[in-house]
Amino acid sequence: MARYGMLINTRKCVGCDACRIACQMKNHLEPTESFITYHELETGEFPNVYAEVVPTQCMHCEDAPCAAVCPTHATYVTDSGVVLVDEEKCIGCKYCMAACPYQARIVKESTGVVEKCRFCWDNGAPGNPPACVGTCISGARVFGDLDDPKSEISQAIAKYHALPLADNLTATKIFYVR
Amino acid sequence: MFEDVSRRTFLKGSAATAALAAAGSLSLGAWRAQAAETTARGVTKQAPSLCNGCSSKCGLVATTVDGTLWTLKGSDTHPYAKGHICGRGHGLAQMAYSDERLTQPLRRKDDGSFEPIDWDTAFREIGEKTQAIIAANGPEALGIIQDPRPSGKYYAKRFMHALGSANVYAHSSSCNLSKESAYTQTIGASNYSTDFPNAKMVMFIGRSYGDGIRPSSVKSLAEAAEAGTRIVMVDPRLNSSGIFATDWVPINPGTDLAFLLALCNVLIEEDLYDHEFVEQNTVGFEEFAAEIKDYTPEWAHTITDVPAERIQELARAMAKAAPAASIEAGWRAVIGCSYKNSFDTARAATAVNTLLGSWGAKGGALLTSSPKAGKLIDARFDDPPKPEKPRVGNKEYPLALDSAGTNLAALQAALDGRMKGLFFYNSNAAKGYAQPKTWTEALDKCDLVVTIDVQMSETALQSDYVLPEVTYLERLELPEWIGGKKHFVGMRTVAIDKVHPETKTCDEIFNGLAKACGVGEYFQFTAEDLATAQLETVGVDIEDMKQQGVVELPDPAFTYGTPKFKTPSGKFEFKSDAVGAAGLNPVIGWVERKVTPKPGEFAIVGGKQSIHSHTMTQNIEALNAISREYHMERVWLSAKDAQSLGVETGDVVEISSSEHTGQVEARVTQRLKPGVVFLPTHYGGDSPYQTRAYRYGVALTDFIPFDVEPGVGSMMSQEVAVTVKKVEA
Repeated sequence: MARYGMLINTRKCVGCDACRIACQMKNHLEPTESFITYHELETGEFPNVYAEVVPTQCMHCEDAPCAAVCPTHATYVTDSGVVLVDEEKCIGCKYCMAACPYQARIVKESTGVVEKCRFCWDNGAPGNPPACVGTCISGARVFGDLDDPKSEISQAIAKYHALPLADNLTATKIFYVR
Repeated sequence: MFEDVSRRTFLKGSAATAALAAAGSLSLGAWRAQAAETTARGVTKQAPSLCNGCSSKCGLVATTVDGTLWTLKGSDTHPYAKGHICGRGHGLAQMAYSDERLTQPLRRKDDGSFEPIDWDTAFREIGEKTQAIIAANGPEALGIIQDPRPSGKYYAKRFMHALGSANVYAHSSSCNLSKESAYTQTIGASNYSTDFPNAKMVMFIGRSYGDGIRPSSVKSLAEAAEAGTRIVMVDPRLNSSGIFATDWVPINPGTDLAFLLALCNVLIEEDLYDHEFVEQNTVGFEEFAAEIKDYTPEWAHTITDVPAERIQELARAMAKAAPAASIEAGWRAVIGCSYKNSFDTARAATAVNTLLGSWGAKGGALLTSSPKAGKLIDARFDDPPKPEKPRVGNKEYPLALDSAGTNLAALQAALDGRMKGLFFYNSNAAKGYAQPKTWTEALDKCDLVVTIDVQMSETALQSDYVLPEVTYLERLELPEWIGGKKHFVGMRTVAIDKVHPETKTCDEIFNGLAKACGVGEYFQFTAEDLATAQLETVGVDIEDMKQQGVVELPDPAFTYGTPKFKTPSGKFEFKSDAVGAAGLNPVIGWVERKVTPKPGEFAIVGGKQSIHSHTMTQNIEALNAISREYHMERVWLSAKDAQSLGVETGDVVEISSSEHTGQVEARVTQRLKPGVVFLPTHYGGDSPYQTRAYRYGVALTDFIPFDVEPGVGSMMSQEVAVTVKKVEA
């Protein structure tokens, strides 16, 4: 069984928002609804400045706080490590929104379901690739099987020494190059 | 042909969304709801097109469900897309379903409001008025202005020429006219490319691939940065490509010419230049060397605020990396249209490359070729007779690139009463090209103003007739020929079902206009007829094109080595007779910017944001939502200046120039040179028909006095000084 994860290389991300909009289209989100949030950071003082954009989204935690608090088990972690939402079971209580350390859950207006990135999961498999990865103009996003040492993502994580955010607080599967 | 598309099954449409869809009321929300509903059970199809989000026109594949757009993917074959589409591309495609599109022809009433009319009436009345202008003032009193698109550039020119007028203008005077005109003089081509995979050092002058995006360029730059190429960004602002830069050189706006001349000075005075290349492939070197003798790094420091030692170090490093080192070609901004010295800034950039011997070198600056259609046999496609009188503006601005001209000459002619009728295609000139008040004055004086667009732009708002076009995904267009190391041809096809029945395609509109104006004999074909014939000349079947969208043409067999410069001398020209004849210094040299901010004043620079294109995209719901969520309309202030003004991020500031005063929130940043403010150039809309863009933020064009770069005809888009003060709450 594959264990899916993503790498986001902020040294390649220009913050063009292509991933947000491709994701919105693929997942039928409203213009104001986004599974991705951009954090624009500056370090240093003029003229010695470094600027970066850090996109965040559902981190697909192994130890997912949103799943733990879900009273109806609508949010659950699959065998392949992807955190999914069963919209038939979601009652819109928003506990998951409160529990998520990454503020990655949003209410989808058209259905009332508290949604999030699912790696474009459909019919028992993730997107090939997910919309955000497919459209990324600079190759800042890599998706694949973390358990396969030969996969592009495993090799990229090793090459760049990519790390999860927040000291891997919740055993996340999004790895960052900063 | 394309990858399989999986269908989402988890989405379930509500009864309400189904009802909306059934009613055919396709607002954006309804489109999304309908898409969600039908994705689960509908018929999924794919069709290719070329993006309309900017001039790159990247190849893409649209996936539809029951004829309605679902997703976009970049064409794997298209050399600019390489499989990817940027944010503005995804957003612009949604224009088709905007609730604020033009849906039928409109005629302006005396009170300024618009009334819907049918196409026959619109064509007939425009035809009568056009013919009346020709009878009274001659065809030279007519002109058309367009932002070039595959069909638009062809039909605009053919329509005007058929009427007997040579007055065809691109948007270039507010874009890259200075650059393209300058390069034509020095290297005999309007553009060149950087050989990123083999480059050791590349210097950007004010351009940012991460803001004015072409996906393949961003990828090339990212890969070069990763491979250790030294990337230098000369820009008053650390732009969005800064992550790729090894060096950021903050410079006083509009002084890049001094910086470039000083680089040349070091290369020559320290004898670091490529003697063999210069001796064999250039003219005017002696004059140039004499011209720049005094333009030392110390001299440049006083103008640019870049330390002399830094200029020396950069010049020496470029020389060491040569010929795999070059100045990147730039596009708009300082090198394209912003200052009185933009033309010479562009010429000087090519002079640096010449001294480095980087033309045609591996890792250097490359001149490549472009394909085109062969000669057409069918007499229907024969050109109309050449207009008798030259294009208005050719005399005053002889250096303007011939294929573009300067639309500001048309504006001046309208102001003084020579231009009586103006047509606009895919162009919001009256807001985006030069001082809007001046355009308003000029359009008021015209007897006839016609705008063809998909939305009620500020230009449309001031027109007598507004003709609604289908959006780009709804129309087939003429082939687009793409040059480079390899050659390609791409084409738009009908990728989604037509959304509004009373909209027409570009060719339908021009064919209708031509007939009504009495020149229908030159328009006896559709765009598809012509596309079929053009493609046949290169051995491509249009049905294959409709499937593939982008086709590679025979390999032009690009090779490294000194290119042929298509200049009068056949060599690189440090000195150009044509430039001298236009009243400018024939030798590349120093020209001061027109307006230098005084103490207490700021220079103001504009720039593109990655999700927007000019004023065209601001009203698109998905893109406007991003601007608002991230406060992208804010004016940037340096942390140092903000402190002296007592301004914090989110405070409202008032910006004033000789032309305009406006208020907008501030963003305080370390990424900007003190003394400079940065204003994104997409905001401050004046069209109440575009409710999301209307009065959101402020527009740079409002602050800029109307003026024209001598000889060239660019708008000098940043020649103003502003004051900034905090607005107390």
